[in-house]
Amino acid sequence: MKDRNLLKGLFLAAVAVIFGVGATRYDIGHVERAGPGFFPLMVSSFLFLLGAGMAVRSRFMKPEAIYFNVKNIAIIMGSLAGFAAFSHYVNMISGIVFLVFVSTLAGTSYSIRRNAIISAVLVAIAFVFQRGLGLQLPLY
Amino acid sequence: MEIIHNLAFGFGHALTLHNLMFCAIGCVVGTFVGLLPGLGPLATISLLLPLTFSIDTGGALIMLAGIYYGAQYGDSVSAITMKIPHASSIVACIDGYQMTLKGKTGLALFTAGVSSFIGGTVAIVVLAALAPALGEVALKFGPADYTALMLFGFVCVSFVTTGSLLDGLAMCMVGVLLGQIGTDVNSGVARYTLGLPFLMDGVGLVSVALGCFGIAEITKNLDSREERTPFSGKIKLMPTWPEFKRIIPSALRGSVVGSFLGILPGGGPVIAQFAAYAIDRKVSKYKDEIGTGAIEGVAGQAAADEAAARTSFIPLMSIGIPENAVMALMMGAFIIKGIQPGPNMIAQHPDLFWGLVASMWIGNCFLLILNVPMVRYLLSIFKIPYVVLFPAILFFCCVGTYSVNNSLEDVFVTAAFGLMGYVMLRLSLDPAPLMLGFILGPMLEENFRRSLLLSRGSFTVFMARPISGTLMSLIALFVVWQMTVFVRDVRKARRLAPA
Repeated sequence: MKDRNLLKGLFLAAVAVIFGVGATRYDIGHVERAGPGFFPLMVSSFLFLLGAGMAVRSRFMKPEAIYFNVKNIAIIMGSLAGFAAFSHYVNMISGIVFLVFVSTLAGTSYSIRRNAIISAVLVAIAFVFQRGLGLQLPLY
Repeated sequence: MEIIHNLAFGFGHALTLHNLMFCAIGCVVGTFVGLLPGLGPLATISLLLPLTFSIDTGGALIMLAGIYYGAQYGDSVSAITMKIPHASSIVACIDGYQMTLKGKTGLALFTAGVSSFIGGTVAIVVLAALAPALGEVALKFGPADYTALMLFGFVCVSFVTTGSLLDGLAMCMVGVLLGQIGTDVNSGVARYTLGLPFLMDGVGLVSVALGCFGIAEITKNLDSREERTPFSGKIKLMPTWPEFKRIIPSALRGSVVGSFLGILPGGGPVIAQFAAYAIDRKVSKYKDEIGTGAIEGVAGQAAADEAAARTSFIPLMSIGIPENAVMALMMGAFIIKGIQPGPNMIAQHPDLFWGLVASMWIGNCFLLILNVPMVRYLLSIFKIPYVVLFPAILFFCCVGTYSVNNSLEDVFVTAAFGLMGYVMLRLSLDPAPLMLGFILGPMLEENFRRSLLLSRGSFTVFMARPISGTLMSLIALFVVWQMTVFVRDVRKARRLAPA
């Protein structure tokens, strides 16, 4: 299952299935009076054909290796989600600090002092945004 | 002669010290705000709209136009240097970012600036000459014609993608499907919202763009664990004469394509960039280099983008129909000032109309004067080590998505699209066509359903009308041509490697 071309086809087909199955829950209607489900069902059917075709075609091609670094993308997702959660439940300053300290775990080196400086600068920039540009940031 | 008279009239209004000042302020503020990764023209205009409330009508509109162009240029700078684009600079990410990787950021930014100037100048001539008449062309477009136009746009995409034609079309469809999330305009049914109220309005363009391009790119850079410092010595700003000569033809091609596509509602800057890039890839003298950081890849799309941004004022000011979100916002600004954009606007407020047209050009000059010397300072961002830069970029992405609707849910959505963007990147699927599909998807569905409603379910309507018929035959021709090319390549490959 390490073949990129096969996974590409399967990924597209999976997106098509998710949206296609979802579309059947809405009224399909008929051609002259299309319901909300008509268009997504049509597009996802085409996409499914394309995706399935690519998956089949990959069996006749030389497999290409796929590289996937779960750790880095997980760290980035986590830092973004944490930023939103902290900003919601505490305030955005804590969100910024969380974002900086967690996201830099994916970097080449880690330094608490450097992270403290980055956080301080970003908080200052956020204040400039809030006061100068009138962005509604819930900083504190 | 009437054009010259009208333009002179307009310049007379725009060149007052007062209006000149507003134009300059708008450009500068717009560029700076647009530069911040995560804030595109739409966000910038909505942020700065309140600034114009206290200014008189003429000055306010001129300043808004300045903000718009400034934001758009600032945007392409963040696309070229950091691969963080918005709707107006998706194509700039392709060759522009490649040029950055080659250490030619200065040249790429200069090319983008000059090409926008060329595109803007051509478009203003078009705008002044044709605005009154061209509005009527747009009125001739029926739903079937729009559908065909958008399908044509999707096919154009196959030129743009770095992968194959099929990959590009598939990504377009994924984009169209993502555009389905939210409330269906025809029936009011909430589709694919998973019961979450904030998805009723659909997922935000900014979230999709930042996730698929910005966050995916950051993660990719982190994966490769390289300390990226391409600039150590002096940065060369001005192009050499042979380089400069390469800018001109593709900028002119882009200007013409952009001016035309900008007029069509549903066309606008996004399709224009893709179309100009596609044309350059086929006819440019250096077409083999495009995609790997060629000057043409930046010049053509920048000119088309700027030209289309300008001519997209035509449907707004001549028939009162905003063709995209930015124009809708501009329309709002007009209405706040007590002016109803529409066929009567040119007749009732000639000073505003022609003054705005003239100030667009003046704004362009300001951009050129401002940006050429500023580029040097913009580049100092690369002197910052990546381990410091990337948390800051993530922060700007968060603030950018948040401030569109002041909603933290959008930050979660952006994170989700970041994951999707990363998966697609690793599957070597190009997200640029996805963006096109996402932007045009809702319009495509609306027009598709409307044309079938009007034709009572008969698909022949797409062939029968002259405009859509022509576009459809172009698509068919194109598909046949691509298939012959494909078959020929396969045969050639078989001959070369008999196995």
